[in-house]
Amino acid sequence: MSEVDMAVIKPEMMKSYIWLQTADGLIQQVEQEVAMFCPMICHEVIQKDMGSSKNYAISLPQRVNPAMLSLILDYCRFHQVPGRSNKERKSFDEKFIRMDTKRLCELTSAADSLQLKPLVDLTSRALARIIEGKSPEEIREIFHLPDDLTEEEKLEPLKNTTDDPRIRLLNRLYAKKRKELQERQKLKNIEVEEERVDDRSVDDLLSFINGDNGDSKGIKNSKSKKKNRRRKDQQKNTSANEAIKNHNKEPNGLNQVCHSAEVGQKVRAGVGATSNLHDVEDDIFDNKNEPDDGDIDDEIDPALKEKIDREVEDFARRLNSDWPERMQEILSFGHERKPVHFSLNGNGSLRRYANSEQR
Amino acid sequence: MDDVMSRDLISGLPRSIIESILTRLPIRDAVRTSILSSKWRYKWATLTQLVFDEKCVILSNDRCKVEDGLVNFITRTLFLHQGPIHKFQLTTTHLQCCPDIDQWLLFLSRNDIKELVLELGEGEWFRVPSCLFNCKKLTRLDLFRCEFDPPPTFKGFLCLKSLNLHQVLVSPEAIESLISGCPLLESLALSYFDSLALTIRAPNLKFLCLEGEFKDICLENTPLLVAMSVAMYMTDDIAEHFEQSSTCNFNRFLGGVPRLERLIGHIYFTKFLSIGDDLGRLPITYAHLKVVELNQVSFEDMKEILVVLRLITNSPNLRELQISGSSNTLAAIDAPDLDFWEDECPSNCTFKQLRVVRMTDMSGVPHEMEFIKFLLANSPALETMSISPCVYVMDGRLNMLIELLRFRRASAQAEILFIQD
Repeated sequence: MSEVDMAVIKPEMMKSYIWLQTADGLIQQVEQEVAMFCPMICHEVIQKDMGSSKNYAISLPQRVNPAMLSLILDYCRFHQVPGRSNKERKSFDEKFIRMDTKRLCELTSAADSLQLKPLVDLTSRALARIIEGKSPEEIREIFHLPDDLTEEEKLEPLKNTTDDPRIRLLNRLYAKKRKELQERQKLKNIEVEEERVDDRSVDDLLSFINGDNGDSKGIKNSKSKKKNRRRKDQQKNTSANEAIKNHNKEPNGLNQVCHSAEVGQKVRAGVGATSNLHDVEDDIFDNKNEPDDGDIDDEIDPALKEKIDREVEDFARRLNSDWPERMQEILSFGHERKPVHFSLNGNGSLRRYANSEQR
Repeated sequence: MDDVMSRDLISGLPRSIIESILTRLPIRDAVRTSILSSKWRYKWATLTQLVFDEKCVILSNDRCKVEDGLVNFITRTLFLHQGPIHKFQLTTTHLQCCPDIDQWLLFLSRNDIKELVLELGEGEWFRVPSCLFNCKKLTRLDLFRCEFDPPPTFKGFLCLKSLNLHQVLVSPEAIESLISGCPLLESLALSYFDSLALTIRAPNLKFLCLEGEFKDICLENTPLLVAMSVAMYMTDDIAEHFEQSSTCNFNRFLGGVPRLERLIGHIYFTKFLSIGDDLGRLPITYAHLKVVELNQVSFEDMKEILVVLRLITNSPNLRELQISGSSNTLAAIDAPDLDFWEDECPSNCTFKQLRVVRMTDMSGVPHEMEFIKFLLANSPALETMSISPCVYVMDGRLNMLIELLRFRRASAQAEILFIQD
C-alpha cells in the first residue's frame, strides 16, 4: 500500500493496539483483541481508559516480566480466536505448558496477577501433576525448597505404616546429638556471666540437693553414671536455663535453676512432644543402651553432620521463639506422638513422668 | 538461608494458587506436603475441599486394618485441619456403618460444609445422624446406601441446589417434603427406590434423573426443567397398579415442562407414558426439545407408538432422535392396526429440524418399518439415519434392507447407514 492509500484508510480498518508497560520500564504494543483477553488489562482499558497511547501505557504488575508477558500473549492470541474446537485448544494447551518448572511457576504467578483464570487453572494442573506421586526429597529438589524441618517435625503425622522402633531410637539419638552441638554453639555466644560448665554443674547439684525438687535430683542421679552423659545433662540444664532466662529474665542463679526445674517439670508433665521429654526418653534409652552410645558418637559421617548442623540451627531458633506460640504448636501436635513403650528400670519418678505423657 | 529462600520457586505463590494446586492432588499427597519445608507445614491444612477415596488406604488383606487405617487418616486430617471445609467427599467400599462417620459429620456441620458426598460400601447401611440436617449452608448432597430420616422439625435445606439419593432408605413423604423444602433445587437424582410414588414440586428444577421402581410420578411444578432422564423398572405390583390407573401419565409427567430440551427414557418409560387415556389431551408444544432418546420402545404396542408420535410431532425443533426397540418378533409379526399409518397418522407434520435419527435393536417388524418410513418421508433436513438390527435377528435383515430401499426420502442428503455388528 502506498502512503497516500494509508492516509485515506478509515481508522476503524486499522488494527488497534494497546500499550503495555512491564515493571522494568519496557513498553510494547499489543493487538487489542489479544490483550483484552486478560481481564486485568480489559479492566484498565474500559474503566480507566488507559493503554491507548505510549504515554498512557498500562503498567503491568511486577510479577509479569517481558518473557512471561510474551508467553501469556501467545496463549491469548491462540485462545481469543472464537472458531477453534475444544480439541484444538486442548492440544495447544498441552504443548504450551511444556516448559521447565521455574518458568511454569513464574507463569502461574504472572497469569494470576493478570487474572487470567484459564491459564492459572492450566498451570496449576501442570504443577499438581509434577508434585503428584513424588517423594518429598524429589519435590524439594524440583522446587528448590529448603529442608528446614527437624526430624521430629518430619515424622509424618499421618503415616500409616507401623512405627519402626529403630527409627524412633535413631531420631531420638539425633535429637540428643543436635542439642549437644547446639549447646556448643550457644556457649560461644553467651555472655561471660556464666561460669565454666563443669563448675556450674556442681553448684547446680548442690542447690538441687538443698532445694525442693527431689524428682529432678532423682533424674540427675540416674543420669550421672557416665561422664559424658553427665556433661550433656549439665548442658541441657544450662540450655533450659538460657531459654528460661530469655523469657523470665531472672539473674539469680539459684532461682534460675529452680525455675528451670519447675518449668521443665511442667512441660514434662503437661505435654507429650517436647524436647525435654525427649531428654527423659533419651536418657532412659541411654540407660539401656550404654555401649551403643559411644559407637553412635563416632559414626556420624560428614553428610549427616551437615544435616544435623542445619537442624541444630533450627532447633536453636525454635528454642528461642516465643514460649506461648511453641506451646500452641506442641499442643496441636502432641496427640500424635505414639506413646513410647519401654520398660522402666529407673525410679518411680521417671515412671510418673512417662505415664503423665501417656494420657 | 536467604540464598535458599530466593531460589524457592513455589512457596511464594499466592495462597489461592497453592490451594488450587493442592486441591488437584490426591489428599494423601496434599497432606504429605507438610513435610516439605517449614513454610509448607500447614499450607494443606486450610484446604476447603477434602476428597477421600480408595487411594487413601494402604491396601492389605486385613480388612480391619484397612478400615482402621482409613478411619484414622480421616479423623486425623479433620483434626489437623484449620478453617472452613466447603466440600467433603468420601467414596469407599471399606466403610459401611461406622460411629466415626457420625463424628465427622458433626465436625463438618460446624465448619460451614457446602458439598457433601458420602458413598459407602455394601453391607449395613449407614444411618444419617441428625447433625446433617443442621448443615444450613449445604448446596450439594449426594448419599449412597444410607438411611435418611429427617426429624419432624426439619424444614429443608434452603441453599441446596443439587440432591442425589442413590439406594437411600427414606419414606416418600420425607422425600417429597425435602424436595419442596429446597426452593433453590436445580438438580435432582433419585435412583434405586422401591415402589416410590412421588410428586415433584421444585420451581427451580432444571435437571432430573430418576431410576428405579416408581409407582407413580407427577411433575407438578417444574416449569424450568431442561433435561431429564428416566429409567423405570417394572414389577408385578406396579404393572397391576398401572392397569387400574386411569390418569393420563403423559400429561402428568410431560404436561408442565415447556422448556424441556433433552428427554431420555429407559426401560419402561415409554410404557409408563402410554398409560391412561388421552382423550382430553392438551396440545403442548415442546418448543425447545432438541434431543429425544427413548429406549426399549415396544413397537407391538400401539399406545407406545402413539406416545412417541405425540412427542415428536409436538417438537418443532427436534434435532436428534434415538429409538431402540424391544419388540418380540413373533407377536409383532402379525401386527394389528397396520392401517393406522395410512389412515390416522398425522400426515401434515414435518420435522423441519430433524438431522440425525438412530434406530437401534430393530427387529424389522412391520410397525418399526412403517415408523422409519414415516420419518424418512417427513424430514426434509435429515442428514443421517442409522439403523442397527437387533442381534437376534439374522434372517430378517435382508428383508429389512429391501424395504428400506423403497422408502421415499424427503431429504436429498439423507444417508442411511445400516450398521451390522
